[in-house]
Amino acid sequence: MKKRRFQLNEKQLGYAFVLPSLLLVFVVILWPVAQSFWNSMFDYRLNDPTRSEKMMDANIDLETYVDNYFFIESQLDALADTAVGDQDKQTIHEIEDGIEKHHSELISDKQVKEKVDKVDKLLMRYKPVNNTDLKYQKVDNDFAADYRKALSSYEQDLVAIAESSGDKDAQADFQQTADLLGSTNEAILKSNFIGFDNYKKYFKDKRMWQSLGNTTFFTVISVFFELVLGLLVALLINRTFKGRGLIRASVLIPWAVPTAVAAMMWGFLYDGQSGIVAHYLDVLKIIPGSSWLLSTGDGGLFSIILADVWKTTPYMALLILAGLQTIPGSLYEASDVDGANKFQQFFNITLPLLKSSILVALLFRTLDAFRVFDLIYVLTGGGPANSTESISVYAYKTMFAQQNFGEGSTLSVIVFLCVALISFIYVKLIGSELFAGRTK
Amino acid sequence: MKVKKKLFGGFWILLLVVILAACSGDSEADGNDKESDDSDSNSDEQVTLTYARGVDTTGATEVLAEAFEKEHPNIKIEFQEMPSDSGEQHDQYVTAFSAKSAEIDVFDADVIWPAEFAQADYALDLDRFIEADDIDMDAYFEGTVKAGNFKGKQWAMPKFTDAGVLFYRTDIVDDPPETWDELIEQADELKGEKDTEFGYLMQASQYEGLITNAVEYIGAYGGAVLDEDENVVVDSPETVKAIEKMQEIVGSDFVPSNILNFTEIETESAFIEGNAVFARNWPYLQASSNDEDKSKVAGNVGFTTLPAGDDGSASALGGWMSMINRYSEHPEEAWEFVKFMTGPEGQKITAVDGGSAPTLVDLYDDEEVQDAGVTFSEPDFVEVLENAIPRPVSPIYPEISDIMQIELSKALTGDITAEEAAGNMQTKIEDAMED
Repeated sequence: MKKRRFQLNEKQLGYAFVLPSLLLVFVVILWPVAQSFWNSMFDYRLNDPTRSEKMMDANIDLETYVDNYFFIESQLDALADTAVGDQDKQTIHEIEDGIEKHHSELISDKQVKEKVDKVDKLLMRYKPVNNTDLKYQKVDNDFAADYRKALSSYEQDLVAIAESSGDKDAQADFQQTADLLGSTNEAILKSNFIGFDNYKKYFKDKRMWQSLGNTTFFTVISVFFELVLGLLVALLINRTFKGRGLIRASVLIPWAVPTAVAAMMWGFLYDGQSGIVAHYLDVLKIIPGSSWLLSTGDGGLFSIILADVWKTTPYMALLILAGLQTIPGSLYEASDVDGANKFQQFFNITLPLLKSSILVALLFRTLDAFRVFDLIYVLTGGGPANSTESISVYAYKTMFAQQNFGEGSTLSVIVFLCVALISFIYVKLIGSELFAGRTK
Repeated sequence: MKVKKKLFGGFWILLLVVILAACSGDSEADGNDKESDDSDSNSDEQVTLTYARGVDTTGATEVLAEAFEKEHPNIKIEFQEMPSDSGEQHDQYVTAFSAKSAEIDVFDADVIWPAEFAQADYALDLDRFIEADDIDMDAYFEGTVKAGNFKGKQWAMPKFTDAGVLFYRTDIVDDPPETWDELIEQADELKGEKDTEFGYLMQASQYEGLITNAVEYIGAYGGAVLDEDENVVVDSPETVKAIEKMQEIVGSDFVPSNILNFTEIETESAFIEGNAVFARNWPYLQASSNDEDKSKVAGNVGFTTLPAGDDGSASALGGWMSMINRYSEHPEEAWEFVKFMTGPEGQKITAVDGGSAPTLVDLYDDEEVQDAGVTFSEPDFVEVLENAIPRPVSPIYPEISDIMQIELSKALTGDITAEEAAGNMQTKIEDAMED
C-alpha cells in the first residue's frame, strides 16, 4: 500500500477551503477599517508639510532642511560682515557655532550623511525629492527637541537685532535670516501621534452632534415611510391583474436612476421660483411658501426625505415582494374556509410570515440611509445654515476639501461605529427570528 | 460564556489588524521613486506638457496653445479638462498632487488656492524664474500678485482677474446707487417697474460665493477677516454692521423669497429673464445679458462699482492664476508656458478669444482688447479691478471658508444674530489656525 506523505484531516481541509474567503474578508473589510482607525489616531493633514506623514517619532524633513542649510551659512557670514557692534557679531558667531554643532551631530551617523548628500545632489538640479524614505529621516526625540529649541532661540536673537537696528536694509537682512531659521525649525518634525485626542475633540463638537442628529432623523423618518409605502406597493404588485409586468417594471425606475442625477432633478423640482413640486405643494397649502423647501433648515430636511422616499421605496417594495411570494397560497385558502376576512388574513398570516423579510429589508435600508451622502451633497450641500449636513458629508468636507485625514478618518470611524451598532441590533432581532433553530 | 469567548476572539483579531496596519503605515508612498538622471533639459528635445484647467467653452485655450507651440516648436501642449466647479477642481488637484503625481505640469488655480498649495508643497516657487527672466511684477494689478504670494515667495502668476460689480437696468434706473442704503431704497422703490419681480439679486446660498459677497460688505464697512500678520480680526463692530446690512437685504421683500439658494447661475438666469432691477455678479454677466439670443434685457444693462458702506466700496477679487506642479518633470518648459500665458501675448489671447479681464494694466490701452469685451474700455471697470480685495490669504483657507459659510448662512436664516456670527467666526477661525 502506498503511504501518503501528507494529509489534512477533514477539519483542516475545511479551513483550507474557506481560507481564500477569510483572506478576502480581511483585505476588503477589516483592512480599510483598521487603516481608518489608525489614521484617526494622528494629527494627519496632507496639505501641511509638517504633518503630512504619520510619524511615531521625531523626523527631519531632509528636503527642506538641506535646502535651508545651504543658505544658512552664507547668510550668517554676510550678516557677520554687516553687523555693527561686537556684541551682534558675537551673537552671530555663537549662532553659527551652535548650528554647526547640531548639524555635525546629525550627520555623524553615516547613513544620515549619505542621505543628506543624496538630497543635496537632487536639490542642486532643482529636482523634487519624491522618495519618502529619502525625504524623512527619523531622529532621536531629545536631539530634535534640543535642535528646535536652539533654532528658535537663535531666531529670536536675530529678530531682536533686526528690531534694534536703525538701518532698513540691514533690518531686512536680519529678518530674512531669522525667517530662514524659523522655516528650518519647522522642518524638524515632532511626532504627530495623538491617540484619542481627535475623538475627544469630536465628542465636544456641536457640529458633529448636529450632523449625527440630522442623519438619525433622516434615517428614521425616511426608512419608516419607505417601509409603509414599500409594503403597500408590494401588496399591490403581488396580485394578479392586467399589465402587472409593466407596473412591476415601471415601479423600479426611480431606483434605477443614479442618485446624483435624481438629486439634480429634484433640485429643479424644488426650486422656489420655477419648481413645479414646490409650486403645487404651496398651492395645496402643504408647505408655508414655495421657497420654504430649500431655503429653510426644516424645508431642506423635508425635501431630502421626500426625494429619498421617492427613490428607494421601489427597493423596499422589491425586497418585500420577494418575501410575499414565499407565502404559500394554501394558507389563504384555508383561512377563507375558516371564514377569515381580508384584514384578519393580513394581520394573522401575511405580516407574521413577512417579519423576517421586513427585518432584512429594514437592515439594508437603515444602513444605507445612515451613510447618506450623494443626495444631500448634490441637493443642498449641507445648507442652509448647515442644517441638513449628514455625518458623511461632514467627513467628506473634512477629508477632501480640507485635506485633514486624521480628523476625517475619525468621523469615518464614528460612522462605522454607528453602523456597526445598528447592524448589531438588527442582527440580534433577526437572529432570534430568522436563524433560530436553522443554523444547524 | 460562549458569547464572551467569541467577543474576545474578535478583539484579538482587531488588535492584530491594528498592529499590522501600524507597521505598514508608511510604505504607501514609496512606489513613485523616480530618480531620473537623464532628463537634463535639452532645448532641442521634444517635450509634451500637460496643462489642466476647468472646462473652457470659449476655445481660447486652443488658440493659446497653438500660438505657444508656434513660438516653441519643441514643446507640445496637451490640454486636460477639469470640472467647471471650482470646488470639485480643487479636490481633484489635491488628490493628484498629494500622491506626488507628475501627470499635470501646468494648471490654473483659483485665486484662493496658492497659499494652501504652497504650504502643502504642491507648487513650484517661481522667484528664480521671475528673476532670471526679469519679469516686471509691478506691471500686474497689485491685488492679483498678492494673491499668488505666500511667505514672501511668488507661487502663481496672475492669468486673468475678476471682481464683483453691480449690474442695473438702464431702462429703469437713472442714477445707480452710491451706497448700500441707497441701493436698499431704490430696490424697494423700483421693484415692479417694467415687469420686474425683484429689486436686487445676490449670492446667498451656503457655498463659496457667499464668502465673496460677505467679504464685499465687510470691506465696505471697514472690517476684515484676517489682518496682514494673519491675526483674526473678524469680531469687530464693522463686521457686525456689515452682516446686519446683509441680513437686512436678505430679509427684505425686494429679493426673491428663495435668495438663500441663489448662486451665480440663478442670479444670471433671473436677471437676463428681466426679473430684477439690480444684481451683484461677476463681469461676465455684461456679455451674457447683452446677448440678444438668450437675454430679454439686451441693450438695457449697465454696471457700476458696488455700493459703498461707511468705508467706501469694496469688491471681491476673483480670477485665476497659473501654477506649476512641484513634481513636474519639465519645470523649465512649464515655466516657458506659464510665462507666455500670463505675459502680454497670452493674456491678449485670453482677453480677445476668452473674454476674460487681463491682469496686466497696460493691456487695457490695447485697442483689440478694448474691442473684445464691452467692459474692458471702461475706466470704471479698471478701477474696480485695481481696488479689488482678496479673500483671506491663508494656507487653511478651505477651513476658514467652511466656518464662514456656516456662520454667515446661520446669520442670514436668522438662526443667530450678527454679533453671534462675528463672535463665532472669531473663535472658530482662531481655533482652526492654532491647531
